Amino acid sequence: MRELLRRYRFVFLAAALMLATVALYSYNLRQKTATTFFERAVLTVSAPFLSGVDGLVDYVSDIWGDYIWLVDARRRSLELEEQNVKLQAQLQEVQEVSLQNDRLRKLLAFVDDLDRPALPAQVVGEDASNWARTIIIDKGTQAGLRTGFPVVAAQGVVGRIIKIAPNSSRVLLVTDASSAVAALIQRTRTRSVARGRGDDLSIEYALRDADIQTGDLLVTSGMGGVFPKGLPLGVIESVEKDQFGLFQQVKATPTIDFSLLEEVMVIVGEDR
Amino acid sequence: MKGFLLFLLAGIAFALLQSNVLPVFLSPNWRPNLILILVLYLGLSESLFRALTAGLLLGAIQDSFCGPNLGLYISVYLTIIFVTRLLCEQLNAESPPLLLLLIAGGTLLQNFLVGFYLTILADDSPVLHILLPAIPQQLLSNLLFATIMLLLLLRFQRLFGYRSGLAGLIYQSKHHGT
Repeated sequence: MRELLRRYRFVFLAAALMLATVALYSYNLRQKTATTFFERAVLTVSAPFLSGVDGLVDYVSDIWGDYIWLVDARRRSLELEEQNVKLQAQLQEVQEVSLQNDRLRKLLAFVDDLDRPALPAQVVGEDASNWARTIIIDKGTQAGLRTGFPVVAAQGVVGRIIKIAPNSSRVLLVTDASSAVAALIQRTRTRSVARGRGDDLSIEYALRDADIQTGDLLVTSGMGGVFPKGLPLGVIESVEKDQFGLFQQVKATPTIDFSLLEEVMVIVGEDR
Repeated sequence: MKGFLLFLLAGIAFALLQSNVLPVFLSPNWRPNLILILVLYLGLSESLFRALTAGLLLGAIQDSFCGPNLGLYISVYLTIIFVTRLLCEQLNAESPPLLLLLIAGGTLLQNFLVGFYLTILADDSPVLHILLPAIPQQLLSNLLFATIMLLLLLRFQRLFGYRSGLAGLIYQSKHHGT
């Protein structure tokens, strides 16, 4: 027996570890809203780094945008002086602040319309894989956030918080494959479920006879209790009907361009 | 121990890079999985125990930086390390093209395992619509970044002292007799 164990120890070790990790993964699948100690620790420890690296990336991008190209422009036009470059950079900065102001104002107006208390947050990171669609924001339990809170932007629904640490949270975007949001077509009130497909949304359970047209706006239905009713989710991109089958095959483009997302609002309370 | 910590620090740095810096320049499909490259290198260059321990921690780090559940990448990376060990005992692991071939194989295996776990265990079948079309881009970006990392490693490995062969593979042969 001992000889057998010694001879096949690699196989036994591999099988035992594989089973253990699959069991761990299966267990965590059942604990969807729970943030494990390890995850909380990693989120907590990495939060200042993420903010720091985010700031650094912004700084380098600003340098690139504000100076490198201007240096290039300077080469083309020797008349430009150093003061002019500085002024240009300052102007860029002011424009950036002004643009951010506009975005925040729109976001606040959107939240005012929503009539619910909300908390602004900055996007500081994205998902480290190519298949999952999550973002990291710079607010966590210390700001009063909890898992399950909906996250929105001026253009519509962003997603919901799935993992949380004291100063950062992970948000599952509506375009993630594991995200499903109860939705309805605004024009006809047809009910459906919007499921993420990476870059777009697949509209499931839309009955074959339902009137859905390209360009229709898809909004949250409020069912499920996570997202408030009537928030924009996407615009219908294509509608296909098979010869047979109970449902239509509908695709929608999200109203938000997630690659450009910088500020979001976390809805923290019930209806006022 | 120093080398082990170096791997972990590199893993954390790669996770931050993948989550914070690369998204600024690259779309999701073109972002390389730097931690996977590190795991494959671990599987080749370290002893089984160290490779498994580091693989487990790197998997947990990657799980904390992506997707909704802890455990997926732990399982995926341990499988990849086991497969790498089995393969490197059969092949000439000191060949540079082989290392790149392993990275291509590792990328495919990782995509297969992630797809399998998410479809079978998590019931996230729509993820295949995201994973499958992205495989060619993933392969290319992983190979490109692995080549860059290899070149950098070869250039700077003298700083780390003990490794004189390509990607530490001579070190691996000293330890495992391949």
